[in-house]
Amino acid sequence: METLLYLTRRLLQALAVILIVTIVVFCLLHALPGGPARGILGPQATAQQIAAFNHEQGLDRSLPVQYVYYLRDLVRGDLGTSYTLNEAVSRLIEQRLPKTLVLTVLSALVGLLLAVPLGMWQAVRRNKPTDYVITTLSFVAYSTPVYFLGLVLVMVFTQSLRWFPSQAPQGDTLAQVFADPAGLVLPVVTGAASMVAVFSRYMRASTLENLSEDYVRTARAGGAGRYAVLFRHVFRNSLTPVIAMLGYYVPVLFGGALVVEQLFNYPGMGLLFWSAAQSSDYPVLLGCVLVISVATVVGTLLADVVQRVVDPRVKEGRV
Amino acid sequence: MNDILEIDGLGVTFSTETGDVPAVRDVSLRVRPGETLALVGESGSGKSTVALAAMGLLPGTARTSGRVEVDGTDVVGASEAELARLRGRTASMVFQEPATALDPLTRVGAQIAEVVRNHRAVSRSEAAREAVELLRRVGIPEPERRASAFPFQLSGGQRQRVVIAMAIANSPGLLIADEPTTALDVTVQAEILDLLRRLAADSGTGVLLVTHNMGVVADFADRVAVMLRGEVVETGPVEEVLLRPTHAYTRKLLAAVPRLRFDGEGDTPAPDAPAPAAPAPDARSADADVPVVRLRDVSVRFGRGIRAVQALDGVSLDVLPGETVGLVGESGSGKSTAARVALGLVAPAAGSVSLFGTELGRTRGRARRALLSGVGVVLQDPVASLDARMSVAECVAEPLRTHRRGMSAAERRERVGEALELVRLPRELAGRGPRELSGGQRQRVSLARALVLRPRLLVADEPTSALDVSVQRTVLEVIAELQRELGFACLFVSHDLAVVQEFARRVVVLRAGRIEEQGPVMSTLLRPEKEYTRRLIAAVPVPDPVVQRRRRAARRTGAAT
Repeated sequence: METLLYLTRRLLQALAVILIVTIVVFCLLHALPGGPARGILGPQATAQQIAAFNHEQGLDRSLPVQYVYYLRDLVRGDLGTSYTLNEAVSRLIEQRLPKTLVLTVLSALVGLLLAVPLGMWQAVRRNKPTDYVITTLSFVAYSTPVYFLGLVLVMVFTQSLRWFPSQAPQGDTLAQVFADPAGLVLPVVTGAASMVAVFSRYMRASTLENLSEDYVRTARAGGAGRYAVLFRHVFRNSLTPVIAMLGYYVPVLFGGALVVEQLFNYPGMGLLFWSAAQSSDYPVLLGCVLVISVATVVGTLLADVVQRVVDPRVKEGRV
Repeated sequence: MNDILEIDGLGVTFSTETGDVPAVRDVSLRVRPGETLALVGESGSGKSTVALAAMGLLPGTARTSGRVEVDGTDVVGASEAELARLRGRTASMVFQEPATALDPLTRVGAQIAEVVRNHRAVSRSEAAREAVELLRRVGIPEPERRASAFPFQLSGGQRQRVVIAMAIANSPGLLIADEPTTALDVTVQAEILDLLRRLAADSGTGVLLVTHNMGVVADFADRVAVMLRGEVVETGPVEEVLLRPTHAYTRKLLAAVPRLRFDGEGDTPAPDAPAPAAPAPDARSADADVPVVRLRDVSVRFGRGIRAVQALDGVSLDVLPGETVGLVGESGSGKSTAARVALGLVAPAAGSVSLFGTELGRTRGRARRALLSGVGVVLQDPVASLDARMSVAECVAEPLRTHRRGMSAAERRERVGEALELVRLPRELAGRGPRELSGGQRQRVSLARALVLRPRLLVADEPTSALDVSVQRTVLEVIAELQRELGFACLFVSHDLAVVQEFARRVVVLRAGRIEEQGPVMSTLLRPEKEYTRRLIAAVPVPDPVVQRRRRAARRTGAAT
């Protein structure tokens, strides 16, 4: 009952956040100079043609009215039609989103699976060579721009070693994507690099903090060995704050996808967003932002729910 | 019979960035099966270091020399694996802070079962059954249900019982208890001490009890070792050391302990307490009858809905000019909340608060600030209550900056210097940071800050609870002397009945947000009318083993009837 109440409250909050995001993005887009008509119709278009386009698309109405219409369509599942691709935005997202999800979810999983043990290892070997080496690598990975890292990986693993292709799996269905796992390796690794860097730092700090907690001493006084203490007690206690950070990392992952998809020619949400931004394709841009904000809100919500499950104190508001 | 713990010439040195710090030098102790040895001393004396060394639990920065043997096994040279076999089976430990000693994410039953399975090849379900049985032995009600509770769902006393259950899970020969009751209320402390005593007597376990509390020593120990700066200065049977101490330090330590006087105490001589603060000088009779603070039917609630806590419920009390009123009660009784209401920090949900005859709730802005500038405050934690990034001078000057905005920098400096001298600190300390001072010095800086505006009321919320007894004594003496000099009234919050008895003229006993009884200290604490007050007083252990044994027996029969 209490959990149900909590979820209802959180979902309502999430809806409010998404609504606010659409308003802000809607206003920002329409504040851009030039407007879409010039971009679509080309520099030769006459004022009349532009006016006609604006009227056809409803762009000559006042902003609040446009927004209300947009929202009305949104509720019906209609995100508008792309100006340039002549296709429903919802249909475009339907095609592209699964591919981006494959990329981001795999990157996140690989990233976490590497970051958590690395961070714990660093904490156990604090201020020893292992710690310093991993810390240095983390800073390198984090401060290298994603496109540069991708290029280096292509140079090494495609051109020199010829282990993995430089192109992500092509094809529109997920079945086609998974048919070429080797093609996914470099994009996923590129996407996971910063994740490993950031989350191994979190995990290191969190583990160090927990290692100095009193309960560690109690467990050792009860005869638990070093590793038993680490895996039975410290691991779970250190993981909870890291889980909480995960939700906030969703937009970063999507941002990374934008570059990775470009680099490896993988037509997902990132590429869609990129081309829409270049041609002022408002409906597509709005659709993309909406998807990312929904993903972020859902991500944080999931992280919070997982935390409630792992840490009983959260439920009681004791933390 | 062989000694269960044998320490010979133990030395412990911590290596720090600024060089080696010797913590323990040439300490030799032994604990026989079934016997309790109390290791006493003030903070920094190295008593906890000795306890941790006996478990092989010292941090990696420590270097150990000498010999430590637990049941014939050498601890100093043992490998981590050998130590793990020893810990929890041959020797166990109970820690000071039950709030943090348990893994917050693991159910208490599972934590106890883990200790069982660390040493014995029993099945999971068998270990879980044993955990429930252990919870029953340490006196946790409904152990089957409680076994699946998380630590945060238990009270402090129950958590400590769980830690004790973990410690006795494998019937160890040696139990090391490091300040096991320091974080607990007196009534809970009495129960935990009873429990430990019973468990030790039942199984013939030797106990090494580390404590700073002489009352606990008198209540529990057979023999005592007194530590000073890393060395044992006196060892002997508890009656000898506590009643006929030979070493000067032991005598000084015992003299500093505030002693609770109670009815029918018989042959114990009256302690030489500092005289209670003098009443208000009659010269200022004009407003001598107007209480400096008056609470009328004050109620305070924290939180909303079903989780709301009634922190205060219809509390009325007065503090007259120049008088000291002690506010006592167990944790959660609302004594700190009452102090905060008097400080204007918590607005009551119902009732009224008056300072110096003016109702606080009716004033706003400048008038309210002027009214509050007549109240100074000293809080419990000397580390947390001073901003570490400010110098001592800045800390003390802050009230002047807030309430005397027109004051020149030179005058402010002068007033800060005066305030420091008032609390017997040299003016040269003004430029230091709080971190460079000792706990007692920090608490006197807090006092200087509280007094720099020459308040008519000092609110002191457990001002000496975090300090060693000898330091506590000097801080209390400074407050009492200044009170005679400056004539301010004092609302003194403390859980320590002996301190309140020495220091206050009247006492208010709080229980669960309500006033249980109030009156002059000498009648209320000597002949209490309420059962609750009687229980509080009976639970305080006095530092005299003979008297304490009698009181414990009386308490037991009292509890039985």
